[in-house]
Amino acid sequence: MYWDKEIETISASDLKQEQLQNLKKTVQNAKKSTYYKNILDKININTLDDIENIPFTSKQDLRDHFPYGLLAKDLTESVRLHSSSGTTGNPTVVFHTKEDINQWADLVARCMYMTGVRKTDVFQNTMGYGLFTGGLGFHYGAEELGMLTIPVGPGNSKRQIWFMQEFGTTAIHILPSYAIHLYSYFEKMGLDPKKDTSLKTAFLGAEPHTDALRKEIEKLYGIKAFNSYGLSEMCGPGVAFECLEQDDMHIWEDHFYAEIIDPETGEVLPDGEEGELVLTTLKRAAMPLLRYRTRDLSSIISEPCKCGRTHRRIARIKGRSDDMLIINGVNIFPMQIEKTVMQFPGVGNNYHIEIKKEDHMDRINILIEVHEEIFNGTLSKLDQLKKQIIEALKAECGVRPIVKLVEPESLPINEGKAKRVFDLRDKEEN
Amino acid sequence: MAEHLSIFLENKPGKLEKVTDVFANADINIHFISVASLGEFGVIKTIVDQPNKAHLALKENKFTVSQKKILIASIEDRPGNLHELLALLSKNEINIEDCYGFPIKEEGKVGIVLEAATYPKIEEVLMHNNINCIELDKLT
Repeated sequence: MYWDKEIETISASDLKQEQLQNLKKTVQNAKKSTYYKNILDKININTLDDIENIPFTSKQDLRDHFPYGLLAKDLTESVRLHSSSGTTGNPTVVFHTKEDINQWADLVARCMYMTGVRKTDVFQNTMGYGLFTGGLGFHYGAEELGMLTIPVGPGNSKRQIWFMQEFGTTAIHILPSYAIHLYSYFEKMGLDPKKDTSLKTAFLGAEPHTDALRKEIEKLYGIKAFNSYGLSEMCGPGVAFECLEQDDMHIWEDHFYAEIIDPETGEVLPDGEEGELVLTTLKRAAMPLLRYRTRDLSSIISEPCKCGRTHRRIARIKGRSDDMLIINGVNIFPMQIEKTVMQFPGVGNNYHIEIKKEDHMDRINILIEVHEEIFNGTLSKLDQLKKQIIEALKAECGVRPIVKLVEPESLPINEGKAKRVFDLRDKEEN
Repeated sequence: MAEHLSIFLENKPGKLEKVTDVFANADINIHFISVASLGEFGVIKTIVDQPNKAHLALKENKFTVSQKKILIASIEDRPGNLHELLALLSKNEINIEDCYGFPIKEEGKVGIVLEAATYPKIEEVLMHNNINCIELDKLT
């Protein structure tokens, strides 16, 4: 029932001792990076509470010290990097040594094993491979666990179903929105995943979703679906995961030191209170991160879990303390979209961006008012502009938007601060 | 000099009617009108008796308009005649941006609208070949 019983059921006092040892090591290691060298100069860690003397690290700090400012080991020790998408400003890049990758794979294997999958299972990964950590993170974890792993990648519903049926897929890693979309494809093909596949387990990840949506997916497919949490700055998937109780996610405290803070004041909040999750890596060698502000809003649940694991749990993510959008699992900042659209001459400020749920998938709709600056009387010029904007945004954000050309003054005018990006997805939908 | 107007419109019920409403209120007479659509949006092309006045009236009503110079060649209404006209233009390496035809007042003739990127070369070519271009007031 446990992938690593000793660590998963470690006593609170032993865990604290191990955390303290690893925190000390991490701080020493971090001092080797140019970014942390000065910051940690006068920091001494004698107890776990001393961590509160370390200043927070933000995503902006990672950008400002791009690319190697937070690297604590010689670059030749790193075997992989993952990076955020986009070309607007510096991306956030995270490096991994061989051992970091192995530990990450072990963590993901621990997560999956916890939900009941075993080496006899067949695992289909529908997440994107590449710079995004969701695909490769689960892939390595599934192989570590010993499952037959099918790296299908995202999209192409017909092929997904073909692989599921041909190879008897029992476990799948999938975006919750795509799970709903895929079900409608099953229906279109006259198939019922409950009867026509061997699916038992789904790992839902990369985008926030409600418990109601999870239950809907479980009902449609006749499976158990588990919520997962991760972020590329920590490693990717594998940071926290639901056990069979499906009652919030165990955060692996042997790897990550978790705090909840008030996002306004930075004050550390007691367990049970809602705030921003702040994480410290305790084992990563290439690029240690101390008190990293995830911007994800959650709370820590310290009551023991029925499953017997002693690692505390974090509540389902309730939102963000910044304006980052998660669109079909891809992290996008509104600024990225705005900069891309505004580079087209004549578009100026006459546009409006709406994020909507259509057919259970997230859609970016870009509404552009056609003024005389971009209208020369021909349809072809407008069509060309439309296509260029779609391509530019796809290159910038990795998401294909829908561009709608509208008449002048058909978009609402905003008073005060110009707000151009509107997230119209109903948080309670599904 | 003749001109035609292109108007950007969303492809929704009642949109075209708004344009004709503006024209009716401004006492503009429409000689020709066509709609080209790309699904969600389209472009209306129109020749009216008073293009400047029409343009202004549309602008006041928040339409996006493009006003472009055109030539209306008056040619005989017989088989092969349009082909001869176009062959003449292509021989002289004149590219046509837009072209459409409609009947005119003069007996036995049709008006061929030509929008080109190379004025006055096109006018010279037509003149040398005795092809007459007509003004807006001679249309109907």
